[in-house]
Amino acid sequence: MAARSACVWAGLVFEQVGGFFKSGHTNNWAVLVCTSRFWFNYRHIANTLSVYRSVKRLGIPDSQIILMLADDMACNPRNPRPATVFNNANQHINVYGDNVEVDYRGYEVTVENFIRVLTGRLPPSTPRSKRLLTDDRSNVLVYMTGHGGEGFLKFQDAEEISNVELADAFQQMWQKNRYHELLFMIDTCQAVSMYHKFYSPNVIGIGSAQVGEDSLSHHVDPSIGVYIIDRYTYYLLEFLETVTPDSKKTLADLFRVCPKRVCVSTPGVRTDLFTRDPNSVLITDFFGSVRNVEITRQTVTLQRNDTAQTCR
Amino acid sequence: MAAARASGPVLRPLFSALLFLSCYVFHTVALTKDEHTEELLIVPFRSGQVYSHFEFTTLWDLDFAGSEGPRYKLQHFRLFPRALGQVMAEYRVQEMHLTLTQGMWQQDKWSYPLTSAAPGAELWVWFQREVDDVDQAWFGLTNALSGLFCASLNFIDSTSTVTPDLSFRPQGLAQGLFKTKPSHLRYATLPRENVCTENLTPWKKLLPCSTRTGLAALFHAGQLYNTQYSSLGVHLRPVCQNDSCTDASLELRQVLSTVADPPAVLNGKQDWSMKRYFSRSLSGPCPMAGTSRVYVDVTGNQTSSFTLKPEPTELKVTSYQDYSRKLAVYDLWTFPFHKEHGLNVDMKWKREVAYNQLTPPLLYVHRFVTGYGQEHGGIMSLLYNRHPYLEQQVIYMELVPWFTRMYLHTLKVETTEGNLIQPLMTRYKPGRDRQAPYLLEMVLTLPPDSTTRVSFSFERAFLKWTEYPPDANHGFYISSAVLTTILRQADNFTVPPHMGSGLESGLFHSSSTEFPLCLHTETLLISLPTPDFSMPYNVICLTCTVIAIAFGSLHNLTTRRFQYTDLTKAGSGGLRARLARLFGREKQTTSEEQGEESETSDENTQEKLLNTNSVSEEEIDNKDR
Repeated sequence: MAARSACVWAGLVFEQVGGFFKSGHTNNWAVLVCTSRFWFNYRHIANTLSVYRSVKRLGIPDSQIILMLADDMACNPRNPRPATVFNNANQHINVYGDNVEVDYRGYEVTVENFIRVLTGRLPPSTPRSKRLLTDDRSNVLVYMTGHGGEGFLKFQDAEEISNVELADAFQQMWQKNRYHELLFMIDTCQAVSMYHKFYSPNVIGIGSAQVGEDSLSHHVDPSIGVYIIDRYTYYLLEFLETVTPDSKKTLADLFRVCPKRVCVSTPGVRTDLFTRDPNSVLITDFFGSVRNVEITRQTVTLQRNDTAQTCR
Repeated sequence: MAAARASGPVLRPLFSALLFLSCYVFHTVALTKDEHTEELLIVPFRSGQVYSHFEFTTLWDLDFAGSEGPRYKLQHFRLFPRALGQVMAEYRVQEMHLTLTQGMWQQDKWSYPLTSAAPGAELWVWFQREVDDVDQAWFGLTNALSGLFCASLNFIDSTSTVTPDLSFRPQGLAQGLFKTKPSHLRYATLPRENVCTENLTPWKKLLPCSTRTGLAALFHAGQLYNTQYSSLGVHLRPVCQNDSCTDASLELRQVLSTVADPPAVLNGKQDWSMKRYFSRSLSGPCPMAGTSRVYVDVTGNQTSSFTLKPEPTELKVTSYQDYSRKLAVYDLWTFPFHKEHGLNVDMKWKREVAYNQLTPPLLYVHRFVTGYGQEHGGIMSLLYNRHPYLEQQVIYMELVPWFTRMYLHTLKVETTEGNLIQPLMTRYKPGRDRQAPYLLEMVLTLPPDSTTRVSFSFERAFLKWTEYPPDANHGFYISSAVLTTILRQADNFTVPPHMGSGLESGLFHSSSTEFPLCLHTETLLISLPTPDFSMPYNVICLTCTVIAIAFGSLHNLTTRRFQYTDLTKAGSGGLRARLARLFGREKQTTSEEQGEESETSDENTQEKLLNTNSVSEEEIDNKDR
């Protein structure tokens, strides 16, 4: 009974101050996946950690970030500067940082674990930090990077996830009320093929390359001997570094982050499943954890109403 | 058990000493509800490296044993980390030792570490006596810890877990309510586990001051992992509150050790300073810590080969049996931080490091892989006892994964002179494919001034193709062997082990005459027969198969000459004729038929036999899985 009256009360409040909850989400989550193992794939770890750094800086706490890294680059014996991963040969930004929590690492990064995290079908003993505990008010950012082809993305050079499996996983999430809105971003060859099969509502897809195109890396760092980061994510991080929790940049700005002249590949966007206008959706709706706080000078009188009304 | 009884008199000294040390654990600090101590010990090694050992001890006067269980007692957390306390209460852990280590401790150069740790991850836990299903609790605990420390401890399963009989006895209180059951120990290692900032981050969050102030402010990941050896540890155990041991306390030790190599980066000198190796200086003690101290071992500075700045708050000398140790102590609570702009311990050497032949410790061990090829192999350990006239009793434990099938009959223990050594006791648990590892424990007496060889051979197993990890060609790891013993001399210890809490008790109390020691050997990397997973190989295989099938049948069809043969006219001899007769046997009614019939029935029964064989094989396969 108490619950119901609370519910009714909340409903009334919502009617009166509905304008506060414009974006419709109350919490933010991020699933960041690097699917590549081996030192020569350093750039994929750097990609994922770039996004990790940004979402963390913009306010998503570690407990709401599922970070999957298929290999350890930071303390790899080949890394001349241990415990660092840089986005740039000039070593401007250590994207690994001093405060990092990796939830799935090494051999744990498998297609099975990834799908289980998304759909929430994990064994009961799984600790909280390895679970995606989202609800129907969660905005989820899913970022993936690795080696892919048309319609698939390889995991650790041993298995792969297809675009159909991915689309079905998102549909399961939708049916189980596991997201409110979902931003899917992928940096791999022929990336857009990964979101072609999506059919669940409120999903935006962003890919770094069209079908038939390779997604290219940015530059080599001679001190580590391999490519340090991919082009798309390099420019994405450059853009995200300019975003602050209160900035008004929108998804439309995000779509323009890496034009063909710098990216060489052609990034693609899919918004037909998304109901809102990307021009009015703030970046921080997905990359940050920003609550809308609006200060009003008017007094809002909340009336107590005990007459029975059902919620919904 | 019979073996234990038979060799009882011989073993008694070792075991009674172990038991004695494990039972009379106490700390002699004033009684409070809970208290926190932070200490840092810096030891310049003669080999040129500098060892820094951080030790954070939290003592909580809380008797968490008993039938009620710790769940009700571990509730109001102050200095003790709640995240760890809850996990401990949930799975009813009595003692837990977790280490995450990168690099190999070099016993022959650096003597014995404060806490010996296996490369990779090592976890051993004593569960409380009341736990019913230990395997279930162990499974839950490893999963919870994997989440807590961002390590892949969830990969610990029955194939890597053992319950040693002789090694890993409780280090804390094990009497009264804390009396342990031998079956409630679990030990596992993950030798491949890499350790980095992602493990340090959750570890340092367990500290009451985090890294904002106190000694933990020195934790800069880039510096901590730019070292030859770095080890993180979490050790939980019950200890006595006072000498009479009427009540117990819960002790949490968080240790972090690194070994930096200054001469390699700095003109050959061993110069070391906090600013250079931790990239900052100390600004003050952690306000939560009752004791906050930095110790620098200046024993090797008899000839003033280096200068130490700033002036220590005091110099302390402790004498052990036949040698003394000199320590410079900085007490962070009395250090004049306001005058000095922070404490930056700085050691400057006058000369470059002279690399002399170092004297290895009295007891140390090496291990390596022997043999060649991909079918068989062997493991050999060399146990050195350098004591000129005392023999040394040790417990040697070897944990071998199932995919290297150990041959016990090839086990050989002998000195390098060729004298066989009869183990006083041998405990062996054979492994099972995909289920359990091989565990070998032996109690050996090492003759004085000798090198003992322990060797055995193994067979490498074929894995199923889905069992190979993505980087199968990297190889497979075999975890460290463990040597447990009690030494009579304290010479080779960095800090002689003492049953009290914190570094201080070991550094300044020299009353003990028995020093328990645990040593880990090298981990081993072996290669198993691995199929070529690469794309060209698979393409070649597939193409060859297609060609073989297509070409073979086409060739057969095009080159064969088909002819009409009259079966009835064909001769009675030959396989073809017999087959023809077999298929057309209804039409034939001769006495020959009887013989044929009996033959076919024989064949049928043989076929049936074959069938049953294959069924039983399948059953076995299923069981294996």
